[in-house]
Formats: sequence, structure tokens, C-alpha cells
Amino acid sequence: MGNRYLEIFCREAEEHLASLQSGLLVLEKNPARTDLLHELLRNAHTLKGSARMVGLADISAITHTMEEQLKGMESGERKVDARGIDLLLRGADAVALITSALMRGEKPELDVERFVAEYDRGELGQQLHTEPRESQPEAALADTVRADVKTLDHLVNLVGELIINKKRLESKLDRLKEITGALPAGHVTELAAFRGELEEDVLYLDYLIQELHAKAMGLRMLPLRTISDGLERLVRDLAQQLGREVRFQIVGQAIEMDRVLLDGLKPILIHLLTNALSHGIESPEARAAAGKPRQGAVLLSARHQGNSVLVEVRDDGRGMDPAGIKTAAVARGVLDPREAEALSDDEALYLTFRPGFSTADIVTDVSGRGVGMDVVKKNIERVKGSVTLASVPGSFTQVTLQLPLTLSVLDALIVACGGETFAIPTTYLQEIVKVRASEIDTLGSGEVIKVRGATTPLYSLPGMLGLTDRREAGDLTLSAVVLKHCDQRIACIVDAHLGYSEVVVKGLGKQFRNVRFLFGATIMGDGNPALILNVPDLFESGRGVRRATLSAEEAQAAQRRLKVLVVDDSITTRTMEQSILVSQGYAVVTAVSGEDALEKSAQEQFDLVISDVEMPGINGFELTRALRASEQYRDIPVIIVSSLSRDEDKRQALQAGAQAYIVKGAFDQGLLLETVQMLIG
Amino acid sequence: MGDDNSYDIRSILSQMREEYWQALAGEESEAKETLECLVFTLGGKRYAFETHYASEVIRVPKLVRVPAVQSLIRGIFNLRGEITAAIDIRPMLGLPQPEIGPTGRILVVRGENFATGILAEAAHGVQGLSFDGFEPVASGSGMKAQFVRGHFNLEEGNVILLDMETLLADPELVAGEA
Repeated sequence: MGNRYLEIFCREAEEHLASLQSGLLVLEKNPARTDLLHELLRNAHTLKGSARMVGLADISAITHTMEEQLKGMESGERKVDARGIDLLLRGADAVALITSALMRGEKPELDVERFVAEYDRGELGQQLHTEPRESQPEAALADTVRADVKTLDHLVNLVGELIINKKRLESKLDRLKEITGALPAGHVTELAAFRGELEEDVLYLDYLIQELHAKAMGLRMLPLRTISDGLERLVRDLAQQLGREVRFQIVGQAIEMDRVLLDGLKPILIHLLTNALSHGIESPEARAAAGKPRQGAVLLSARHQGNSVLVEVRDDGRGMDPAGIKTAAVARGVLDPREAEALSDDEALYLTFRPGFSTADIVTDVSGRGVGMDVVKKNIERVKGSVTLASVPGSFTQVTLQLPLTLSVLDALIVACGGETFAIPTTYLQEIVKVRASEIDTLGSGEVIKVRGATTPLYSLPGMLGLTDRREAGDLTLSAVVLKHCDQRIACIVDAHLGYSEVVVKGLGKQFRNVRFLFGATIMGDGNPALILNVPDLFESGRGVRRATLSAEEAQAAQRRLKVLVVDDSITTRTMEQSILVSQGYAVVTAVSGEDALEKSAQEQFDLVISDVEMPGINGFELTRALRASEQYRDIPVIIVSSLSRDEDKRQALQAGAQAYIVKGAFDQGLLLETVQMLIG
Repeated sequence: MGDDNSYDIRSILSQMREEYWQALAGEESEAKETLECLVFTLGGKRYAFETHYASEVIRVPKLVRVPAVQSLIRGIFNLRGEITAAIDIRPMLGLPQPEIGPTGRILVVRGENFATGILAEAAHGVQGLSFDGFEPVASGSGMKAQFVRGHFNLEEGNVILLDMETLLADPELVAGEA
């Protein structure tokens, strides 16, 4: 276990312990304030989950007993009295004792087994020698400060404003150059000298801003290592569970990325690694029979390429079989047989990204989250990444993600289009081409051009965006951009290319929720905004789904918060799930039973349902089936959260129509949120 | 949502507003007080809303059109670093849309969730409007009245008081897909 990871845990633990301690002391003075229990329970629970994540079984065992006690108090089965509070404080002390020993790199002096046994019997037991906080070595912390993430974001924003202002200065300089050029010769010398000096000043300012920007960004950057420790654990556990022999190697742990991006990358990697193990690497026997080493290899690597990061997941397993994928896609109605025939082997691999393709895969998805590749693709798009697949059947599968370093500043090509200026992130840009009208062919109902020998659909960007399209007749040369996304290429005609620029990404604000075609806006040198295109949307649009302006109802639908129905007979789980979801901005309604859930779901429309399995009355599986059978809920995602962890239970859940299955034992709020976000955003 | 236990937050809010308004109107009329409003022209008529909704009035800057959004969002502009939308609320009020000329202004207002710019043909500044001449909107006077609270009868003509809270909460102002 990485030292860094442990450090993060200890810091987190410190916060939870402090809030446990203060909460318990308040409770001791006012035993009637049982409302505090919930927060305490959350502290203990989170601590337990985090301890499990970093493999600290001792802390997880202690916090588990504390949690049980708190649950008892919450449900009224246990009294909230001085003795009970004493016991809880003792538990917090024990955890503090372990973490402080870990921080010093020593073995904690505590017989955890005995402690837990005594705790469960309600005995105060062993005397704990917790040391006063002051005695902890502070030296390592002395030259670091903790900064609020909001403050960091604000700092980055301010630097962004500086960049924009510098650009404004630069465009003023250009203007000055023009003016100087137009002046009568006599006045020019002095002004030209002045302009030269100003130019130097701006250049120096530019240098300073770049430095500042790098430093400010650096504050938000974290190495891949911060998430990879957990991944190693995941691969190890999965391999054990599946009976695979796997050597997992990570290259490029030190590559740093924006914290926000790293957060977005984690669920994607979890999914890809799970796929590599469950679908890629064969059993040792099968490998031996195929003349491969018994031990499979999974490689996660990260490296810089220009201004982006390439992250690769490669396994030397059975590879992806294009013919098999085509057959499966046809069988699942993802495409018709004629289309399938026209697809090349490379293109066939990308069928796995189509919605509806992976429905059958989830049954074998051992990680228990059962989310299809289409959702992974959505997540990649969300972090402005592009993905490429490569595979040789029987030999290897490789998934390559290209991601920007950050989402706050992007390299972009600026284009004029329909009388406006747009920025196109270079991640999606293959090349700029000039097209003569005579080079355009018609194929089916659309136009195509040849780009490096490949037939590429041609669209008008203003037309796709619904802006005024003025394409003049005649054999004029047209400017176009070739965009790439997954395996697809499209060419889009624009009015003109205006050059490359680093653009500061600004959100469009709450008035624009999930607006189509746009990722954000930036502010140009002249002070006016320019819109940043969300390229994946153009590919969707290219398939002929052109949408008109939103109707009032659609706009209304967009405005409301996403609604989740939480079904569980346990008040703890219910309220916990509710508070987790509410804190993330979801609207949550709870139901205490399957019957209650059916009643509530008939009355209002939910975007997602989270259900327990074992409940009085109809159980979670039956509930899922009932929802699936109704017109209104046929496509609404259902997540099953249960303490049943057998594969058979998962299979049953997925067969009933659930999208994901989370085992309560491994339940933590992060996993739940990730899954919810994956499914409904 | 025919649940007995559920309640309609909108009706509660509008009831609260009603009560607030009545209390205010009662109290103010006794004192013959005035309501401080920003007065402007929309569709050739004079409109007003309370000054506390307005954060500033600016000349119309270059508006950048946004693809695939409803037509009332006329574009976005840079409000000191914040990307802000310029909206044309005249169709919501059933008004004609004469061109926004050189006297045109953007009234920047702050709603609960976002700040937005309302396009107006002209802005006439802040005026104290006397409650003496206020007539609340008659109930049942049609759909277009949903954003109107009533009007002030002034010597120089009518000024219609907008219900900014309802207007700014209207989903039609928000662009996006579910």
C-alpha cells in the first residue's frame, strides 16, 4: 500500500474522528438530540469504507462495531446514555491510536480482536494510551498548507482572466502596428520605438502569465498514482475471484492530471480493467492450452503526447473477435445484417460502444456494477477524451484514451462559421483540408470527400448547428476540418480557419443545462465570447438526428433536477443513500417497501431507481421486473444495492433488468455516486 | 402527483407572495408610499420591475448566437468575464418585437439560479411609482397575465409591473436537454 494513500486516509480519518468526538460530546450533554446520530453514523460508516479501501482491517473492524452501536441507538434499540457514549468515544480513541501509530510508521499497541470482542459485549475493556495530538511529528506538515478546492478553482479562473486580458493587449498591439503603418513617415520612428517597447513588455507579461498559469494548474494536478493504488487492489481481488493468474503493471504513475479529470478517469479505468479480466484474460488452463504463459499480463500505462495524456489499458488475453461482435450486435438489434457486412473489422470493435450492445455482458460482469461500454464512452466524452480500440483475436486488446491535461484550458482551432466564431478542441481534430466542389461526391443521401484515400462524410458545420449556411456555387475552394471520434471521421465545411489558440474554458452557467453541441465558451482577444464545440455531439448529429429548437416541454424537462427513488426497508440505508444523493443535487424520494415503490413510481416519473433486494412483501427483483414491464419505466435504470453477494444473486438482478448491482459490503458513497452518475449523469 | 401528502410548492409560493403583496399594498397605501422600480420599454409599452432584481443596465454588446437553443435566447455576451445570456422576453408577454435599436439596453437581472440579460428597446431609469395609482391584475385576464402583477396609472401613461419572480423561474428561460 502506497505511503501517500495511507497519508490521505489518516488525514481523512482525523476529520471524521474530530467530528465524531465533538458530536458525541454534544450528545452526551443532550441525550435527546438523536438527530446527531445520523451524522455520527455517516462518519463511522465513511471511515469504515475508507479503511476497507486501504486495507486497514483493524480500523474497519472497530468502526463496524461502532456503526452497529450507532445504528442501535438510531433505531431506538439501544439507549443513548453516558455509558454508550463512553463506549463510542473509546472506539474513536482506538481508531486514533492506530492511525497515529501508522503515521509514525510504528505498530499500534492494541489487541484489536480483544478490543472488538469486549466492545461488542459493551465492556470498556483495555486501557488505551492515546497520545496528545501535540506529540505528533509536525515537521513534515510544516511547509505545506491546505487549500480549499474552491479557492484553487478561483485562482485558476483568475489566471484565465489574465490570459484573456493579455490577449486583449496583444490585439491592441496589432492595431497599433496598423496605425503606425498608416502614419506619415515623420511620426513613425518614435511611435515604432514605443511600440517595440510595449511589445517587449507584453511578451514579458506573457511569460509571467504562462509561468503563473503552470503553477496554478499544478496545484490542481495530481499524479495517476493517487488512483492507481486502488486499481491494483481491484485487479488482485478480481483475479482471485475469477481464478485468473494476472500480472498487473502500471507505467507512468507519476503522470499528473487535473484533479477533476482524474476523478472522471477512475470509473472508466475500473471498467476497462474489469473488462480486461472478465472478458480478456483467459483461465490459466485455457492459456496453457493455447500455448500462452499461464499468467496473463494487464498493462495500464500513461504518457504525455503533446498537450494531452494517453492512457492505455492493454491485456494479452483472448482479444476481441470482430465477427462475433457483429453477430452479437445483429442479434441484439444494434444494427441490421446489411450494415454489419459493410463494416470493417476495425469498425466492428466499436460496436461495443453502441447503446444496447452490452446488455448481455453485464450478466458476467463480476465487478457487480454491470455498466455497459456505452456508458464508458459517455464518460470519456464527458472528460473531453477520445478513445481508440485495437485488438488481435487470441492475442491482445488495447484501449487507448486520449485526454486533455485539464478542462480549464484547451488547445483549440478557431473557425468562422455561420457568422460566428467557434473553437474546436484539438483532441478531436485530425486535420484541416481544402475542398474543391469538384472533389465532392454524393453517396446515398449525403456528400462525401476523400481524405487520405478514405471516404469521409462531408457536412456543413453551420448547417449542422442550424446557423445560416451560405455555400456559394462554383468551384471555389472550401475550408473544412476533419474531425475524429472513436473510429469515425467526418469532414465539416467552415467559413474560414482563424488559427490555433489556447482557450480558457468558461462554463455557460446554469441557464444552459446540457446544451447540445457546446462544451462551454471562451473569451477572445476582442472581449467577445466564442463558443467551444462539443465535437461528439456533431457525430450524433451526423447520423441524421437533427433536432429542432427545444419545445417548452422539453425545456421544462431539462430544468428539473434528476429524480431518484430509493427503496429500502432499512431506514439507515435509505436515509444514507438519500443524503448522499441529495448532497449531489439529486431530488430523492424514499420508499419503505416494494409496494410503496410501485405506488410512488406510478404517481411521478423518476430518472433512476435504487432498490434493496430483501424486503418484506415484494422483493427488489420482483420490483425491478414490475418496473421493466411498465411502459413508463422500461428504460429507467435500476441499481440494486444488496448485502447478497453471490454471483447467482447478481445474475438474477441483471436478468430482472437491473443496470447495476452494488454489494453492500463493499458499499461506499463514492461507488454509489459513480454508478448513479454513470447512468444518469 | 395526486398524492394527498404531496404539496405544490408553486402554489404555496404564490400564496406567500400574494400575502406579502397584500400586506405590503395595505401598509404602503396608508403611507402613500412608492415602489422603487426600473422602468423600460418592451414592445412599445412601458414596463417596470422592482429595482432589487436589477443588477445593472448596459448597452447591447455583440451577442454571440447559440446553436440549438430556443429562439428567445438571442445570444450570449461577456459580462466582465461571466458568460451571460441575452433573452428576449417579449414573446412570453405576447408583445410585438420591434428591432432593438441604438437606444436598446440589456437589463441584467439576478434570479435564484442565474443572472441573465433582458433585452429592452429602451431603459428609462429608476422611478418611485406611487401605490395610489396601482391596479392589480384582474384574475382570469388570460394567460399572458401570468408574468404581470398589475399596472400603475401615471400621468404620462400606464406602466406595467412585471412579476419578475415568476418570470425568472419560468423553465422557458433555461436551455438544454434532459
